[in-house]
Amino acid sequence: MGDNITLTFPSSYQWLNMIDLVCGEVTSEMGFSHDALNEISISVIEACTNALEHGNGSNVDLEVRVVFRREQGRLTVEVFDCGKGFDYKNYMDNIPDPSDIQNHRGRGIYIMCQMMDSLSFEKLPDGGMKVTLLKKIDGTGAENSD
Amino acid sequence: MKIKSREAGQVVILDVSGKLMGGGDADTFRDTIHDLLEQGKKRIVVNLSEVGWVNSTGVGILITGYTTMRRNKGNLKLLHVSKKIQSILYITKLNLIFECFDNEDEAIASYS
Repeated sequence: MGDNITLTFPSSYQWLNMIDLVCGEVTSEMGFSHDALNEISISVIEACTNALEHGNGSNVDLEVRVVFRREQGRLTVEVFDCGKGFDYKNYMDNIPDPSDIQNHRGRGIYIMCQMMDSLSFEKLPDGGMKVTLLKKIDGTGAENSD
Repeated sequence: MKIKSREAGQVVILDVSGKLMGGGDADTFRDTIHDLLEQGKKRIVVNLSEVGWVNSTGVGILITGYTTMRRNKGNLKLLHVSKKIQSILYITKLNLIFECFDNEDEAIASYS
């Protein structure tokens, strides 16, 4: 295997259903467990909402691009936005305890870190941000990098 | 997201449907909670059976509702939490904060 699926959508919540449907089809077809399928779905939707809200400022004229890379034994999902990016290294180093109910900051990144085998961020040279999520079919733990 | 409110004795059940993700959802939920507090209603059950998705923002919305109720000597409990939502609560350890029920009668009775 080794084929890609690319979807591009305006920065609006209404298109997340389409992303989730495609994500479900891809992960089912690849043989992920039901739990892993849920974890990938949650993480991809989290990354997409971050991209459209924080990256693109919910500006429907700006697009979010999602690439599903199906490889042997693993799925890589790349989410691109058109925003200015953020200081992800500082962000990753200072994620508060998620059970701190007064502090909502960083919870989404924490969730993605825990649910995927790898999570990384990259500021693109031409502007925009790329988030890369990786899940191995038999992945058992977090192995996050930046 | 849509919210319908109904009452079972002194307990208010909020039937939430759609996506709980952000955008205007936070305002809608917060306004509902504040309206209930103004009416003196502090025993809340949030029925999530018709909620397809929750992301971290949606979890934050539930937490804000919970903390608002607790500050006002009330409580907010969850009903029919889907597997996806359960996994988010578990990973963020918020399953230790929220009381969750699979049965509406039990959720209501928990306020007795």
